[in-house]
Amino acid sequence: MLTLASHLRLLLLLSLLGLVPAGLLGAAETASSSFGEIAVPNPAKPASAEQCVEPVEVMRRDHMKFLMHQRDATVIDGERESRYSLVGCMNCHNPANETGEIVRYEDPQHFCAECHTYASVKIDCFECHADRGLEQVQQSRIDSAVPAWDGGGASLSAGTLGHRLSLSQ
Amino acid sequence: MKTVAENQLPQPTRRGFLKGAAAAAATLVAPGIFLYRTGQAATALNDQARWGLLIDTNALSEADVDACVDACRREHGWQVEQDSATDAQWVRKVKLTDQDTGHQKFLPMMCQHCESPPCVDVCPTGASFKRADGIVLVNKHTCIGCRYCMMACPYKARSFIHETLKDQLPVAPRGKGTVESCTLCVHRIDRDGANAMPACAEAVNQNGRKAILFGDLNDPRSEISLRLQALGGTRLRADMGLNPGVRYQGL
Amino acid sequence: MPAPIQYAEIKTSSSGYWSILIALALIALIGVAGAHHMDVEGHHVSGMNNQIVWGLPHVFAIFLIVAASGALNIASLASVFDKQAYKPLARFSAILSVALLVGGLAILLLDLGRPDRLIVAMTYYNFKSIFAWNIILYSGFIVIVLAYLWLMMERRMQRWSKPAGLIAFIWRLVLTTGTGSIFGFLVAREAYDTALLAPMFIIMSFAFGLAILILILMLSFSLDRRELDASHLLRLRKLLGIFIASVFYFVVVFHLTKLYGTQNHGFESFILMNGGIYTFLFWCVQIGLGNLLPLALIYAPSLQQSRKSLVIACALVIAGAFAQLYIIIVGGQAYPLNIFPGYIVESSFYDGVVNPYVPSLWELLLGFGGLTAALLIALLVLRVLPIMPTALRAESQ
Repeated sequence: MLTLASHLRLLLLLSLLGLVPAGLLGAAETASSSFGEIAVPNPAKPASAEQCVEPVEVMRRDHMKFLMHQRDATVIDGERESRYSLVGCMNCHNPANETGEIVRYEDPQHFCAECHTYASVKIDCFECHADRGLEQVQQSRIDSAVPAWDGGGASLSAGTLGHRLSLSQ
Repeated sequence: MKTVAENQLPQPTRRGFLKGAAAAAATLVAPGIFLYRTGQAATALNDQARWGLLIDTNALSEADVDACVDACRREHGWQVEQDSATDAQWVRKVKLTDQDTGHQKFLPMMCQHCESPPCVDVCPTGASFKRADGIVLVNKHTCIGCRYCMMACPYKARSFIHETLKDQLPVAPRGKGTVESCTLCVHRIDRDGANAMPACAEAVNQNGRKAILFGDLNDPRSEISLRLQALGGTRLRADMGLNPGVRYQGL
Repeated sequence: MPAPIQYAEIKTSSSGYWSILIALALIALIGVAGAHHMDVEGHHVSGMNNQIVWGLPHVFAIFLIVAASGALNIASLASVFDKQAYKPLARFSAILSVALLVGGLAILLLDLGRPDRLIVAMTYYNFKSIFAWNIILYSGFIVIVLAYLWLMMERRMQRWSKPAGLIAFIWRLVLTTGTGSIFGFLVAREAYDTALLAPMFIIMSFAFGLAILILILMLSFSLDRRELDASHLLRLRKLLGIFIASVFYFVVVFHLTKLYGTQNHGFESFILMNGGIYTFLFWCVQIGLGNLLPLALIYAPSLQQSRKSLVIACALVIAGAFAQLYIIIVGGQAYPLNIFPGYIVESSFYDGVVNPYVPSLWELLLGFGGLTAALLIALLVLRVLPIMPTALRAESQ
């Protein structure tokens, strides 16, 4: 039965429902601008290349999709010469900070870390992958004086720590 | 209350019909184009091949084996502190002394790339897998670091990364908490196919000799197959029936 | 018609309950901290390495998982085999088994190289791997046993507790077979690669689970000053004796069979004679303290009414259990792989030598953390739900 109370309830429901598209419209209006007042990270672009393999807006949203698909293609199918290879990314997006020093991925001035700290998403890639381009990797390895292999030598019979067994089979 | 008369059925216009047909056709064809594109991209893998190594232990001196281990180390970026029990070793120099005769030989020992790898059988997530071309790899994206494959390997070929790494070489991503082993230089194979040469083989194959021979075991006319037919090759722990892709001569 | 069994929660006012609970919680927390340290630093801070890949945490974890499966025995005896005498303890049996399993799983998961990839483990399955099956079996066990417990506790549903008990019983046999097969399926190592390990783990679960169950039962009844008549303890005592004797039988058969083949003489002499710590653990702890002494304590005619002897026997069984699992898990890895028969092998990767293993503090903390977490869960649930019977009186009815 349509009473005043039920009319008021209906009105309240409709106005609440109306708020949703209004809010979306408002958000869409400001999306093309810099999200209203909120600052969005704008990491330094590499000087070398003119543009990334995809437009910035596509990359911002979909770079993980490309990476997730590419990693399977590389590991399982052996496809390495792809536009989406991570090595390709790091060769261009070398993570220099303001003073030009190459930084690690935990540093907020690292190219990937700039957006990831903003979005609060942990980066898993650099547990295994180098967080910089090949040239910089080789320089870092020289700088950190990775010891040379001594051919086994004194450690050949590491069994000095255990005891030798002769396997009489 | 139905007010629509029965003879007033909606009449599709020709334009509307053509639009609908085009949309339907596009929906049917589009996934095929996408699949075709992905299919095109993955041409690096030769699934008719089975890559293997033939290692002639009689032709390898201790210095040769050291060079081979050193080359792998430099190619992939791993290193071993002296007497370390936790550092990874993708390939190692093994010194064999015959119990009866005292005869000594040196050989490099790495992942044997078995045809029926126990490490692949036991991996709970399928991270340890055998590629279509016979190379046994660890997909470190899905490795959870349980080390069951290390328990299962009959050759102790696998290593676990026990500490945080940095400055990994781009051809060999490796990280804490995952398992790894010899990849048969898969990055070189994907680039050069049958003309590839793993780093260990490259280090010892100078002056035309082929102490470590790489090739396609499935091709009866490849150099490795011809040499196996002529001189034979031993499989390590052959009684286990794993049919490794790495064969040794002189054992 | 016997009087219906009364169940009641353990009272927190009971002496020592809070102090035990707090102590357990503290140790569990320290264990988590230890696991976190291993995760952040990497496993180089632990004693595990490329030669001994599974160490002390896995000994604790497998112990808890095996005991969890065995702890359900009492409930199965009541529901599946209609032994009414065990019915009062059925709820406790179910709760204890879930608590122990959760503790064991926690240790396993926290020891993974990439514990953050648990979701990968739950979504990517290689169904040829017994490990993958175990993930399903362990989580399914928790669900099934909790359902079984609810069916037992809900009066209207009690007639469904019997089929649920049967499902739980079969599930745990499959689960323990799976746990034993983790090692039994490994063809590479001389210590494993045998079908015997699966039934051996089942019989081990009977003994270990019952030992823990008796201890917790006696502890909680004495905390809350509930009557625990000697006849019940006598029945459990005899059951434990049978289980220990069965474990001993399986161990004898395992070693005799391995000894028969000349190819295994190296491994057998390693365990039985010249393996250092492993030989000591085998003869003194596993066989002596874990099998023979408890059997003597259980069957000695003068000790039949002695509660202390039962407690000591249970504690010894648990000590023997740890030794047995340590020998299986760590000893099996310490013995070198036989890749080059007829040769003496040397390399920089510990080929041809016995692999040394020194457990680190972090692994000990993680192991104890899981164990105390399991006990903590059990004691908390006993406080919150009516699991324990108010009294276990002499059966004169």
